Amino acid sequence: MIYIKRQLEDSCLILLTLLLSLVPATGWAAIQGLSGTNFNFTASSGQISAADGDDVFFWGYGVAGQRPQYPGPTLIVQQGNTVTIRLSNRLPQNTSLLIPGFKVQASGGVAGQITREAPAASATEAVYSFVADRPGTFGYYSGTNSDLQVEMGLIGAIVVRPTGFDAAVPTAYGDARTAYDDEFLFLLSEMDPEIHHAVEIGTDPVATTGFHPVLWFINGRNAPDTMAANNVTWLPNQPYNAMPSIEVGKRLLARWVGGGRDHHPFHTHGNNFDLIARDGYLLQTTAGASRQASEMGTVPDLAVSDFTQNVAPGGSYEGIWSWTGAELGWDMYGHSGTEVGICESGPTPATTIDADGFDVNTREYCVDHGKPLPVVLPNAQQLTFGGFYSGSPFLAAEGSLPPGEGGNNPNAGYAFMWHSHNEKEMTNNDIFPGGLMTIMIVNAPGM
Amino acid sequence: MKLFCRILIPLISLVALVLLGGTNVLADVVVECPTWSAGPGSPINYTGGTFIDSNGDGMIRADDSEITAPVSDTQVCLHLAAGDGLVNMADGREQYMFGFANATGTPNSQVLNVFMEGAVFPAPTIKLKQGDDVYLTLTNVGMNRRPDLFDPHTVHWHGFPNASAVFDGVPDASISINMGSSLTYYYHVVDPGTFMYHCHVEAAEHMQMGMLGNLYVTTAQDGTSFEYPVSSGKFYTKFAYNDGDGSTGYDVDYPLQLAAFDPTFHDASFNIQTLPFANMDDKYPMFNGRGYPDTVKPLGDLPLHNHSTSSPVSTLMTPTAGDRMLIRISSLSTTSFHTIGIFGLKMQVVGQGSRQLKEPYMTNSITIGGGESVDVIIDTAGTTAGEKYFVYATNLDHLSNDGQDYGGMMTEIQIQ
Repeated sequence: MIYIKRQLEDSCLILLTLLLSLVPATGWAAIQGLSGTNFNFTASSGQISAADGDDVFFWGYGVAGQRPQYPGPTLIVQQGNTVTIRLSNRLPQNTSLLIPGFKVQASGGVAGQITREAPAASATEAVYSFVADRPGTFGYYSGTNSDLQVEMGLIGAIVVRPTGFDAAVPTAYGDARTAYDDEFLFLLSEMDPEIHHAVEIGTDPVATTGFHPVLWFINGRNAPDTMAANNVTWLPNQPYNAMPSIEVGKRLLARWVGGGRDHHPFHTHGNNFDLIARDGYLLQTTAGASRQASEMGTVPDLAVSDFTQNVAPGGSYEGIWSWTGAELGWDMYGHSGTEVGICESGPTPATTIDADGFDVNTREYCVDHGKPLPVVLPNAQQLTFGGFYSGSPFLAAEGSLPPGEGGNNPNAGYAFMWHSHNEKEMTNNDIFPGGLMTIMIVNAPGM
Repeated sequence: MKLFCRILIPLISLVALVLLGGTNVLADVVVECPTWSAGPGSPINYTGGTFIDSNGDGMIRADDSEITAPVSDTQVCLHLAAGDGLVNMADGREQYMFGFANATGTPNSQVLNVFMEGAVFPAPTIKLKQGDDVYLTLTNVGMNRRPDLFDPHTVHWHGFPNASAVFDGVPDASISINMGSSLTYYYHVVDPGTFMYHCHVEAAEHMQMGMLGNLYVTTAQDGTSFEYPVSSGKFYTKFAYNDGDGSTGYDVDYPLQLAAFDPTFHDASFNIQTLPFANMDDKYPMFNGRGYPDTVKPLGDLPLHNHSTSSPVSTLMTPTAGDRMLIRISSLSTTSFHTIGIFGLKMQVVGQGSRQLKEPYMTNSITIGGGESVDVIIDTAGTTAGEKYFVYATNLDHLSNDGQDYGGMMTEIQIQ
């Protein structure tokens, strides 16, 4: 009995720790990765943790002398720089590295079918060098036995910053059409654990034709682990978080990379995005004009608005997403309309409304200021509550919740699910929910 | 001490239950279609207003004079029931399903009785106008064939711009409605376009089980006449988007939603077995809830079906020769991408993701994944009455109703 009680207490503690660790802190580093021009990688094997509790044997790129990781280190480099990746290999078969989108000079190692390879279980390095001649988002992956090695985890992403990049006023491509306030990477992939098991027990060759993925990942994690912080200790080989957040009205740059072999329709709840580039090429006419998107402000003239992005294998995409709350038809803060200093139309006191009709401080749409919520919500007994619900329909407001409900959204932001709309991919080996899913949180200014 | 605990704990629980039960209504069907009791400035009467769907369009509209003392001239009230039901596939096979039904206008006291086990597939088509103020009430009537389930439900308006979390229908991020109760969503409809809707609770399950339907918004530009192309002598008063030049004008429009059933999954659900998410494998690909040849049949002509009223939507397209057709294509497949082609006619893509494309393009095929929408215009100029054109999935294995060939995702354009 005491034993059981202790078990229960332990479980509660574990649950609490888990819940707390899932609570998104504000100001998480947007895209974690390695900066510079010279990188030393080692390909080696390890275990990743799937969110259903399974340990999956994998092969990954890692910083030389450190753990392999899934995905490999995200490289953040400068346009115009010559980037060199030196790769050594502890895997039982040769491996290599392809960087589609650039002219790569390979040297060292041994000759392979597609590129120079780092020989199996050897300190002999293969060296890949390229000039990052244009900005954008790119993938990298193994060019050796790729069908198996990509499945095993040898993938990663590269972000190329435009010439003249200023972190204080960041842009994706060097001009205002591609300006953003926060950026997030979504490297999408999937795995078939059967293949991994076959490799782990030494099967050679491993058949990949029966490929049947049951695990789906963003940045190498399945939901809900996608929402845990970067570098959490219990995911030592999956360092990258995949939980975006942004303030009302700010521009978010989403960088999508297709890292596996399947297409994934990635749906952004909350609003449309404007797709501004594909594979590192801006969607613009030769004149390079810009246009005003309804929400996002200035975007390249051929940008395409959509609510779902088909992320294809080997493809990369950049979208600008924003959430303004315009024209909800009710006050998102639940204001009464009599507040001083909010949505003042001037001249005395001075106006607080900007040219687009938003309050300069609260960022609310002033036409809706003071309008009540148009419906009466049912009482608590009639409802089921989500972990990201603050208990209130209003932004930055907490409402009463039954014990044990809510708790994952401490700033009471608006939470929107971002996920694969091949809904079966929102599972972890038959367990719903999970998989290729995360939560986007829109916070009130200053939260 | 032990005895004390044994008696006290149940006693406290009982008292708590009685208190809770005594002070709160635990379940209630309530339609919120608010009205002013008198002039502006008076309190809003959220429930109990007088309204009747007099024109039978499945919704209560202020601009159809169906709401006495509406809160706005553009007020629209809708009532969906969410629960379970049975539906036939085109080969006659019965499938258990979860779904929605249109309960608009049904008295609150009768909703549970009338709509229990009354779900339809696809969910009732929701057609709105730009500028509408929509009050959509969702009542959870429970799963009659699965009394072991206590699933809540939601409505997710897929693609709604600047959605608020509370009306976005994602259970993790907001609230969902329990059995026997109602939740009213509010949407201020700003943008026209082709959207879709579905339940987002346990989305992989509830969507595979059938909780999805067409939703689109017509433009503020509708009713204005544009000649397109200029000097062509062809005038349009209906448009896919507010194009300003008539370039998305059409004579007749058809929603076409892709979805598919995996009979193994549905049977597992019906028989209270573990659900095969990872092995989800659709065998009944459908347009608007039917496989060919049911797609082209009227409701009364489904002889294999015991539950023919559960799939009431025909996808037969009957433009008059010379008409410009708009097909509002959306996919809520839970498993795969599809490519849609047409024999003999050209497609012009004018919109995607509920927005007008800046650069429309011509094509012979549309590839669409779950959660995507595409607006296609087909000009039938040059066709003659009596001609027939097939619209079909070029993924040819999706042209079947399980083992039955010449079925699945296919329908016909029959020129009048």
